[in-house]
Amino acid sequence: MTDLDHRYADPDGLAYGPAAGSLADLLERVLDKGVVIAGDIKIDLLDIELLTIRLRLFIASVDTAKKAGIDWWETDPALSSRAARDSLADENARLRARLDALESSLEGDSADAVEETSGAAR
Amino acid sequence: MSAAERAEPGLVCAFAVTRTPPGPTALASVPGHEEGGPLRVLDAGGLYVVVQDVPETLFGEQALAERLNRPADLERCARAHHRAVEAAAGTGGPRAGAAAGAAVVPLPMATLYRGDRSALRAVDERRPVLEALLDRLRDRTEWAVKVHAAEGSVDAAPGPPAGPEGSGSGGRAYLSRASARRRDRQEAHGKARTEAEAIDAELRRHAVAATRHRPQSERLTGRRTPQLLNAAYLVENADRDAFTRALAALTAEGGRPSVRADASGPWIPYSFARWDEEPVPETGRREVPA
Repeated sequence: MTDLDHRYADPDGLAYGPAAGSLADLLERVLDKGVVIAGDIKIDLLDIELLTIRLRLFIASVDTAKKAGIDWWETDPALSSRAARDSLADENARLRARLDALESSLEGDSADAVEETSGAAR
Repeated sequence: MSAAERAEPGLVCAFAVTRTPPGPTALASVPGHEEGGPLRVLDAGGLYVVVQDVPETLFGEQALAERLNRPADLERCARAHHRAVEAAAGTGGPRAGAAAGAAVVPLPMATLYRGDRSALRAVDERRPVLEALLDRLRDRTEWAVKVHAAEGSVDAAPGPPAGPEGSGSGGRAYLSRASARRRDRQEAHGKARTEAEAIDAELRRHAVAATRHRPQSERLTGRRTPQLLNAAYLVENADRDAFTRALAALTAEGGRPSVRADASGPWIPYSFARWDEEPVPETGRREVPA
């Protein structure tokens, strides 16, 4: 990692340079800090504020960062809850699909199913 | 004062919001993203946004996602963003110090709009929040402080403990040595943690606010000892001397043998430019499924 050029000369001659993880410090700040004025709330399709870009970008960057060993967001409640919500939604969708498939196959085979059940009871 | 939409296909990348726009010459000397045009200022009526025109071919969703997945591009982009935010504060130039900088609210990297109009509307819709943050951040800078356990204090196991149970070569002796080592390690770790907390407490005395980032992994820091504290402090310019003096004492070698403290700053107060940590009405922060 290269050295960071963000430091200022302190008026008193005391200068605090970046430590070894300076790129990490920078990414930690510029990636997910600061005010989101892109609007997390609505996405206007006509004059889109590219919120989705920001979100997806963040996810993309997260992959990169992860490869670099940066993993601070994993305990970020906002992000992890979003991830959890996404995975729940995915799972929900998968279960629904399976349920639909089961129900339709059940309707089709209901006669067989009844026979099998009574057969098993015997 | 409505801004004209530009004719050529492009996006507007926004960096920061301020009340005092940087001078045109100061802005002109700072390159934003290499691939974009010069930095410019949008007037949102009392608030100003520093923006840059960037080509959609490089900053469109797909292109940008691909680029940011390449570490070198991610770094270039992050540094360009940071440069532009500093330029917005008037702290980017060689002569300006952060103390002289105007208050800015930094926006996250890759805040992109279809045009000036949507950028201005975004600012306008969040005017009260932005104003409140500008008040809060005025004449203040951020300082980053990381505390690691000192090399040798935690991981480097001390030699076999003295005492009757320490010698010998039987299995029982081995186990007892191992558990003594573990106990030493835990004690050292506990001591280091206590010192890290003490450092935090001392620095908070000179700061108006403090927040913590997640400790970075050892893989990332390249150190062999764990990061115990990854803190950011918001420091009043008037208190800066006191803060840096405290910092100097805390980061000095030998002062606290169990830990090693490192600092960087002054930073643009990125870590404190968040309104979601401020007590604001819930109505403005409705979450949508991403």
